[in-house]
Amino acid sequence: MNGISVDINHLKKGEVNLGTSIMAVTFADGVILGADSRTTTGSYIANRVTDKLTQVNENIWCCRSGSAADTQAVADIVKYHLEMYTAQQGEQPTTKIAASLFQELCYNNKDALTAGIICAGYDKRSGGSVYSIPIGGSIHKQEYAIAGSGSTYIYGYCNKNFRPNMSKDETIDFMKKSLAQAIKWDGSSGGVIRMVILTKSGMERLVFYPHNYVDSE
Amino acid sequence: MAGLSFENYQRNQFLAAKGHGVPKATSTGTTIVGCKFKGGVVIAADTRATSGPIVADKNCEKLHRLSPKIWCAGAGTAADTEMVTALISSNLELHSMSTSRAPRVVTALTMLKQHLFKYQGHIGAYLIVAGVDPTGSHLFSVQAHGSTDIGFYQSLGSGSLAAMAVLESNWHEDLDKEGAMKLCSDAIQAGIWNDLGSGSNVDLCVMEVGKDAVLYRNHLTPNVREQKASSYKFARGTTAILKEDIFKLIDVEEETIHSEAMEVDA
Amino acid sequence: MADCLSLASRHIKEQIIFSPDGRNFQVEYASKAVENAGTSVGIKCKDGIVLAVEKILTSKLHVKENYERSLTIDRHIGVVWSGLIPDGRHLVNRGRDEAQSYKSLYKDPITVPGLVDRLGYYVQNYTCYNSVRPFGINAIIGGKDASGFHLYMIEPSGTYWGYRAIAAGKGRQIAKSELEKLDFDDLDVETGLIEAAKIIHLAHEDNKDRDYETDLLVCDASGYFHKPSAEQLAKVYEALDNLSEGDSDDNEMEE
Repeated sequence: MNGISVDINHLKKGEVNLGTSIMAVTFADGVILGADSRTTTGSYIANRVTDKLTQVNENIWCCRSGSAADTQAVADIVKYHLEMYTAQQGEQPTTKIAASLFQELCYNNKDALTAGIICAGYDKRSGGSVYSIPIGGSIHKQEYAIAGSGSTYIYGYCNKNFRPNMSKDETIDFMKKSLAQAIKWDGSSGGVIRMVILTKSGMERLVFYPHNYVDSE
Repeated sequence: MAGLSFENYQRNQFLAAKGHGVPKATSTGTTIVGCKFKGGVVIAADTRATSGPIVADKNCEKLHRLSPKIWCAGAGTAADTEMVTALISSNLELHSMSTSRAPRVVTALTMLKQHLFKYQGHIGAYLIVAGVDPTGSHLFSVQAHGSTDIGFYQSLGSGSLAAMAVLESNWHEDLDKEGAMKLCSDAIQAGIWNDLGSGSNVDLCVMEVGKDAVLYRNHLTPNVREQKASSYKFARGTTAILKEDIFKLIDVEEETIHSEAMEVDA
Repeated sequence: MADCLSLASRHIKEQIIFSPDGRNFQVEYASKAVENAGTSVGIKCKDGIVLAVEKILTSKLHVKENYERSLTIDRHIGVVWSGLIPDGRHLVNRGRDEAQSYKSLYKDPITVPGLVDRLGYYVQNYTCYNSVRPFGINAIIGGKDASGFHLYMIEPSGTYWGYRAIAAGKGRQIAKSELEKLDFDDLDVETGLIEAAKIIHLAHEDNKDRDYETDLLVCDASGYFHKPSAEQLAKVYEALDNLSEGDSDDNEMEE
């Protein structure tokens, strides 16, 4: 390191890493978030049943990738801001507002953070929506988003198989197959597949164990 | 100025480059574990403290009390686990007094993670936090950088791999208190026997809903020093006396001093 | 000299201390400053907001165009006020800061109640310290956000209420009694503009010895505040001409 070029992707020694496969997909009734459950420190799996899907408000969640400490801290701060927003404005924040808070924090502290976040939620105004906030702190509104080290293996698969306005079962199936491939090829991803489904009727949680997804070709 | 000082960083880098070693902090090369059971939670630790290759303390305490019913086991830099635990314990008590409520485990966890995150991993504390509060029994772990994990069982420290092997193969959902205590002490023993950084005894703490927490200091002592087979002391008189001299080292003299009475201004 | 000091200190004390019967005189004096100022009016129509203000011309030598009394805080929020002109401009400035900081944080325009709430807090702060004086204005704030059209008025104490229509300043009594005759559920922006201009004209009766202009600001379906269009203005002129037939005053309209 010469002071001019700085490797921002490096993790501090001993830092807990979320080498990850995460995704969020909009569908006919709302949005579904999905993630693997592996947390690593170097070559050791520090947690094989991690929950990388984090709630930041009533109907807004995020998928975390990068440093566990950084993304947990960012999610906690966003959670606080959204609670303040609800108290001050007397209404629930939209997904856009939550995503914007994530983006603001990730951009302003980009030198100190290793955080790749997908923010997704359901609100009455815009239905299900997905925002991707990759490492530099930019923000991208998308129909679906994939991120984390495992996502590189499934860009083609997702691009071929995603369709707008899928049914709930179609979407779950699409995500299960996508994440199964990401987990299969990425050493830093593994464990169970967790999902959170956000629709107008609230939220629903799903877990798929390896025997439920490994052969979901 | 509050916080860590880095004013000697550059000098130390320079000295290190010149071949002068950087002094090492005592690291608790450690095995610590925690495990939930039906009505509560158990945490356990070994009792070896190391400083490089030297065993600095054969029976140290790695179980810290954050509040009467919230305990935590520490791995990493000994001084840091000690100080951060003492600080959070203090703040937790102030918080519980100002809210007139029993402290919660998540509160302790949040205070710890926010403090550790602020110091970006420079405070080398790796903790297993467990306890009972009005919302039930809880088990968490915190890493030095400020990340936290939840689970039915946890292990941390240099012996965590050995301990995790035991936890992974013997843990089951309907453990009772005795089962959890056995599992935890087995896991610690795996560290004691198979990890160089861990050793000596097993400390254990049981926190049950509706009951006082119980600390089992030296729950197991599998490394009691054997009585020596024979005494190696030399019998009195083994060394012969060839010559004896007695010296007077102090002289005492007596002297009487006469003086006028002191005058004092009115 | 002694009298001077005791008088001054009495006023300073009054800023932070309630009178024995529980009043804060400085805030009440600020309201007095508003009562004699040019009239301003706000109307929430069925399809938009109309704001109008009577600009008293204190000198024949004024250049008319470059003196704004109807300002925008953001594209969707407009303000008119009665009282001290610089106080209003300062409040609008603060409002712009608040709107921008909200937008930079949430990437969404600030809600109207949200902005009015923040400005309410700001105004209230000036009633708490003896080193400052309260705002000498009633600010009528209109706007459109995701939940629809809103109309509020903030008073020197920092309190604010929502309204269907409201007036402030010297001619407020006349204005209010005229406003009460309107059917807001059926009133569109086109007629709202005409009514607002007529009301300002009527309210000026109390102030006949001085020249005036009327500033108009309108927010319609677009959600943006703007000066009335040429067509809208033509209709206003027409209505005013009918009104002031035989009236020798030349009430020149300015948009």
